[in-house]
Amino acid sequence: MAAADIVGKSVTRPDAWDKVTGGRGYPVNVQLPGMLHGKLLRSPYAHARIISIDTSEAEKLPGVKGVLTAKDAPVRPFNPVYFTPIGCHSMVQDMVLFSDRVRFVGQPVAAVAATTEAIAEQALQLIDVDYEELPTVFDPEEAMGENAPQLHEASPQNIAKNPSFEVGDVEAGFAEADHVFEGVYQTQRVHTCYMEPRVCVIDCDAQGHFTVHSSMQHIFGLREKLAYALDIPEGRVTVVKPPYIGGGFGGKLDIGYIEMAAALLSERIGRPVRIEHTRHEDFISTARHPIKVYLKTGVSKDGTITAREAKSILDTGAHATHGSEVIMVHGMFGVVFPYRCANKKWEGYTVYTNNMIGGGYRGYGCPQGCFAVESQIDEICEELGFDPIEFRLKNAYEQGDPHPFNPAWNLNSYGYAEALERGAAAIDWSRRQPAGSETGVKKRGIGLGTQGVWVSGCMGFPDIYEHTGAIIKLNADGSADLASGTVDLGSGQITTLCQIAAAELGLEPEQVRMSYADTDTVPFDAPTHASRATYSSGLAVQAAAADAREKLLEVAAAMMEANPQDLEVSAGRIEVKGSPGSAIPVADVVRMAESPFMKDTAEGPQPSCPPEHKGTIMGSSSLAPPENPSPATALFVEVEVDTDTGEVSVLRCVYAHDLGRVINPNAAEGQVEGGMQQGIGYALMEDLQFDTETGTCLTSDFLDYKMPTAMEMPREIESIFVETNEPSGPFGAKSLSEQCVTVPAAAIAAAVYNAIGVRIRELPITPEKVLRALGKL
Amino acid sequence: MKQLITLNINGEQHELALSPDTTLLKALRQELGMLGTKRGCDTSACGCCTVHLDGKAVYSCVVYAAAVQDCEITTIEGLGSNGTLDPLQEAFVEAGAVQCGFCTCGMIMSAKQLLDEQDHPDEEQIRQAISGNLCRCTGYTKIVDAIKMASEA
Ligand code: FES
Ligand code: FES
Repeated sequence: MAAADIVGKSVTRPDAWDKVTGGRGYPVNVQLPGMLHGKLLRSPYAHARIISIDTSEAEKLPGVKGVLTAKDAPVRPFNPVYFTPIGCHSMVQDMVLFSDRVRFVGQPVAAVAATTEAIAEQALQLIDVDYEELPTVFDPEEAMGENAPQLHEASPQNIAKNPSFEVGDVEAGFAEADHVFEGVYQTQRVHTCYMEPRVCVIDCDAQGHFTVHSSMQHIFGLREKLAYALDIPEGRVTVVKPPYIGGGFGGKLDIGYIEMAAALLSERIGRPVRIEHTRHEDFISTARHPIKVYLKTGVSKDGTITAREAKSILDTGAHATHGSEVIMVHGMFGVVFPYRCANKKWEGYTVYTNNMIGGGYRGYGCPQGCFAVESQIDEICEELGFDPIEFRLKNAYEQGDPHPFNPAWNLNSYGYAEALERGAAAIDWSRRQPAGSETGVKKRGIGLGTQGVWVSGCMGFPDIYEHTGAIIKLNADGSADLASGTVDLGSGQITTLCQIAAAELGLEPEQVRMSYADTDTVPFDAPTHASRATYSSGLAVQAAAADAREKLLEVAAAMMEANPQDLEVSAGRIEVKGSPGSAIPVADVVRMAESPFMKDTAEGPQPSCPPEHKGTIMGSSSLAPPENPSPATALFVEVEVDTDTGEVSVLRCVYAHDLGRVINPNAAEGQVEGGMQQGIGYALMEDLQFDTETGTCLTSDFLDYKMPTAMEMPREIESIFVETNEPSGPFGAKSLSEQCVTVPAAAIAAAVYNAIGVRIRELPITPEKVLRALGKL
Repeated sequence: MKQLITLNINGEQHELALSPDTTLLKALRQELGMLGTKRGCDTSACGCCTVHLDGKAVYSCVVYAAAVQDCEITTIEGLGSNGTLDPLQEAFVEAGAVQCGFCTCGMIMSAKQLLDEQDHPDEEQIRQAISGNLCRCTGYTKIVDAIKMASEA
């Protein structure tokens, strides 16, 4: 297959065969000889001081091999987020493994390792902790008040971070406006709901070297954070890349309490220690932050946005973790950037409360911003009689505009307008009726949401890793092994990266295999996050493949007595351009380079190829991508609202994405469909709820935490790919993943408004809220 | 106190010494090393642990191993024969129904019961049959496609 045919083909996932027959590669399956099982004891209080811990009974239990408490754990505060280096200034470092003060229900206070899980659990019951309860605060705005309990000494009024952004003259912008709109938009705490629980197996050998298996999304970040937490050099930690993990969606982006505890236990006991979360533990360990957005927008008569001012309050729970970064991404990409506007001002607050800690959920602050911004645009259009598509196009960026994130970049490929146009045609936008005009109990509505600016990675954030690399090695059978630190969370990097390598190397896609990798053997790679893997890791793989190809053609040229520039490689064969009769298999060239032998010639035996060509034909790369181009998205949904029960059903969606050149359409559709599901859950049902008195999670189970099943999903999800060609991307590609979950809540809220004529500004849009909005409750 | 039990799994007898509160899921994963059956929740709410008992799909995390000694147990490892995959497994690969794949084996076991009982289920019956299996990656679209594809094979 020629390169042009490999890119854009729905190549079958090589890992799918293994997964349908059992799936050997998941981290939960890792078993090591002599392995012990660890468990964490967690605080039942939302805020308390630990007066004393007595572990003596637990230690006496037969089968218990080790117990850890605060006195055994390092005290250097850190932030568990993987993708920023230790010590970078933007991160708030406010966490330790075990402390004498707990700030949320579920905070670990001790760990046990035993020969079986059951014994470890039993041992937890025998640990006697004496707590002194402290006053709690669960509402972030209350927490900012003068009299609220202070959760961290370094952060007065519980404000962990308070970024702001201003451009132009907002007052003048509002003075210029003919209409000013104000609204408050509230989102809830939701969980990523990866299906494979978080797990690790850590083995410390006799020399103090740690080998780490974990379900985390970033092997290099785990190495760095673990070394820091244990206060040892990074060279003493090897993190093994799992062949694949059972989902992540950002929820496995940071080092967990489990990795630190397992490492310390293993070091102390001298045996491998495994710790796996229960589903309850997963639910209370990571979440998308609830954000309240106060949004004010000025609009002129002709529909130009003249000013925008916003304040966002993010509940980061007991520790900053991702909250100090999510607020920035939310403010910039969610609130400030999406539309052109000369006068903008935004202020964000990352606020401590006694709620659970947050994490990095797909979209990273943007879904919360998109819900606010797009909902308000819908309100503006409704009130002033603008068509929502035309209004957006009037205020949107255009191809060639500077990228709002980094003016050094331009929007060189930008299909926002085309996404809107094609989506509108597919859903037949013209049939949309005035809001609330349908009669009958079940009312239908059509809504629209868009996201104009996003990233394919994190280059523009100076504190976030973006560099990446790969190694490709050709085998004597003509196949190639690709080693990369990029963890496949399920989104298909194994497939797409192999496709990119095959296209560049001139092999068939099935001739490239994603092979073993660990932090010792492959170049540094940033996490699989921020919609970056296809773009950034793809560029690294392409560069490594190009490097290998160059060497391949040099050897081939010597064999064929030709000029390397005159050769081309395709479908595993090398030929002089335009002369198919000259073709020789790639395998022959690799064998020649690897073989020690001489070849027979008329003049007797001669070296088979020049000595400088001898050896393995391979290529490598380690690079930072030139930029992180923006994708663009428009989503149209049709809903039906039952005005008797308040239930909302999403009937149909048309999701149009500019993602640059599509590498694998089937995998890309999979991202869209899965993103839509998470978006529907966010819009209509998912909600991590807590007891308002005690802070105990009430929905830490799939029985109580409702996410969409096959029944709740629309029967029709149409993906439209606007294939702009991104000049900086691998084969023209850019990113997709997070855009797919960012927009649904906004579009569904708009559709619900269109159906019933009443606006709901607080997610999730439950039947109860619908009935309340209709005045029926 | 452990007790000796016999499980009939994929046509083979296995003798195990287990404590009476050992679930079938635990017996499969921890005692027998049959890792195809997954634990997603342990509380009968995700479907990752689905196996067949006498041809019926059940959550193995809420069944005691000792209680199913008289049943024929089928797990994902028991699907297909003579080195060929079950048409459902083929279809899941073909349709792109597998992303992270953690739900896949349970999903296939639920679909298997449906296709064993019904030749050409319609879309609503397919969705109903897998409504006890959660998937977070796919939106179920390609899973439904795969089951349809297998039912037509
Ligand atoms: S593990 Fe059995 S239903 Fe989730
Ligand atoms: S494929 Fe990941 S949970 Fe279904």
